[in-house]
Amino acid sequence: MRIDLVLTVFGKEWREISSNRLLLGAVAAPAIIFAAIPTAIVAFIQINDLDMSQLGQIESMLSAFPGLPPKLAAQGFIVTNFMAYFLLIPAMVPIAIASQSVIGERQARSLEPQLATPVSVSELLAGKVLAAALPAVLATWIVWVAYGLINAALADPRLLRMVFSPQWIVAMASLVPLICVLSVLLGVIVSSRVGDPRTAQQFGAFVVLPIIAIAVAQFMGGQATFTMNQVLMGDLIVIGLVGALLALGSWAFDREEILTRLG
Amino acid sequence: MISVEGLERRFGPLTAVHDLSFEVPEGTIYGLLGPNGAGKTTTVRILAGLIAPSAGTVHVAGLALGPDNAAIRALTGILTESPGLHDRLTARQNLAYYGRLYGLTDASLREAVSRYLEVVGMTDAADRKVGGFSKGMRQRVAIARALLHEPRVIYLDEPTSGLDPEAAKSIRDLIAGLRDAGRSIILCTHNLDEAERVSDRIGVLNGSLLAEGTPDELRRRARPAATRVELDGGPLAPAEIAQAVAELPFVRHASVTGASLWVELAEPARDTPELVSALVHRGARVMAVSEEVATLEQVYLELVGEEHRAD
Repeated sequence: MRIDLVLTVFGKEWREISSNRLLLGAVAAPAIIFAAIPTAIVAFIQINDLDMSQLGQIESMLSAFPGLPPKLAAQGFIVTNFMAYFLLIPAMVPIAIASQSVIGERQARSLEPQLATPVSVSELLAGKVLAAALPAVLATWIVWVAYGLINAALADPRLLRMVFSPQWIVAMASLVPLICVLSVLLGVIVSSRVGDPRTAQQFGAFVVLPIIAIAVAQFMGGQATFTMNQVLMGDLIVIGLVGALLALGSWAFDREEILTRLG
Repeated sequence: MISVEGLERRFGPLTAVHDLSFEVPEGTIYGLLGPNGAGKTTTVRILAGLIAPSAGTVHVAGLALGPDNAAIRALTGILTESPGLHDRLTARQNLAYYGRLYGLTDASLREAVSRYLEVVGMTDAADRKVGGFSKGMRQRVAIARALLHEPRVIYLDEPTSGLDPEAAKSIRDLIAGLRDAGRSIILCTHNLDEAERVSDRIGVLNGSLLAEGTPDELRRRARPAATRVELDGGPLAPAEIAQAVAELPFVRHASVTGASLWVELAEPARDTPELVSALVHRGARVMAVSEEVATLEQVYLELVGEEHRAD
């Protein structure tokens, strides 16, 4: 694979994405919302001296933070529990970008001239996948770092260790990019079947809903955040799903099939 | 430069192209004519290494289609049926992107982009996003894209589609210039007048090749040339003249329409002076003699019409 050609495709895609304000909004909005909600709750707890009776359902979950004062334990629970929702960013954003890109190319009939160049299909796809996945990965990482720093500044520096815990470092380094790849592949495959980016984006629910279900189950089960084993298991599951989608969308690596289905 | 032998392409039960063979030497424009669905786009896609043939062999500049597809694409320029530009990029950015995919870098890329923007008359609009361009402007950018990397083989699908007459002429001149520079060009078009004007050879395609030759050969092959003689009175009535002329050994057929005598000669170049001499000898007053050859449009319609009737 020729990296210069991958970067050429990536550069073109990036230029197109960055000139699409609506798409940029779709990238930024979920990232900001998922970080803002728990941060507001942490700030609220910090400002108001809540007693244990006001902590409601989470009071029983504070045992996960032994040795910490109840107020900080409550903030720690909120901060770590909401981090599961960060996984929605790589699930939602790449499928929006990939479907917009592929269906946009279909409508403009711009795939054929690209396929007629010496670029290989894998180089073309790699550039497109990179362009669809990178904004989501970067948005997730940036929000994660900002989230840790802001909450630590608002409440207590000890929150830093909870946000930047080993399992979340592994999750950010492996699970987030893997979910991005899954989302991009789903976007490309769905885009070969539907003619409207919004319809394609609705298929993102196949990735988004399981993550929401996991986040809710985690809260209901009283677990503050993922364990390292759960993160690694998540990696394996997503790798399996990526493999299944690659098999389902193997046509995407054939010049003629791309031309026939997407051209 | 391009050699096609027994090409066939099937899509499931449908055979889009069947038993197609032709050659396009270096410095030649080959016009590929045919109705919608005749297999022109499929043929070009096969020749450009975009889709594989079901049968047959293709060689482009000595490279075999299949194993050498990447090399073939590198020396090929293609103007697709639809311009297929990236609307959010400027004309210059569009060309620069494709230039890089074709391996141009730095100064050579900048120089090629600027030169071809100028060639197609788009320098003034070079830094505007193509999303706001008219159909003709998009077409001109797409033509520049096809030529940017100085390809030896060029496939042009309806190159003057959407262009005003002045721009269309400049593009035809450009295509002729490319031919003169030694490029091999396949021109797919419905514009028979354009095909006739710029093509060195023409193939009429409708699944398979119905006819092939120079525009002149095609016109004569489809229908023999008729010699038209305009008469102005004389001792014999036109019908009597036609009857007398029909008896001449070198005349295949003779008829009269108004004051014109239509004569089909065995060899017009050789027999026309004999015909005029015979007419004058019989007292006819000959005002003018001209050779009437079928137009390419007539030839095309007859060929495609016969094909439809045969179906």
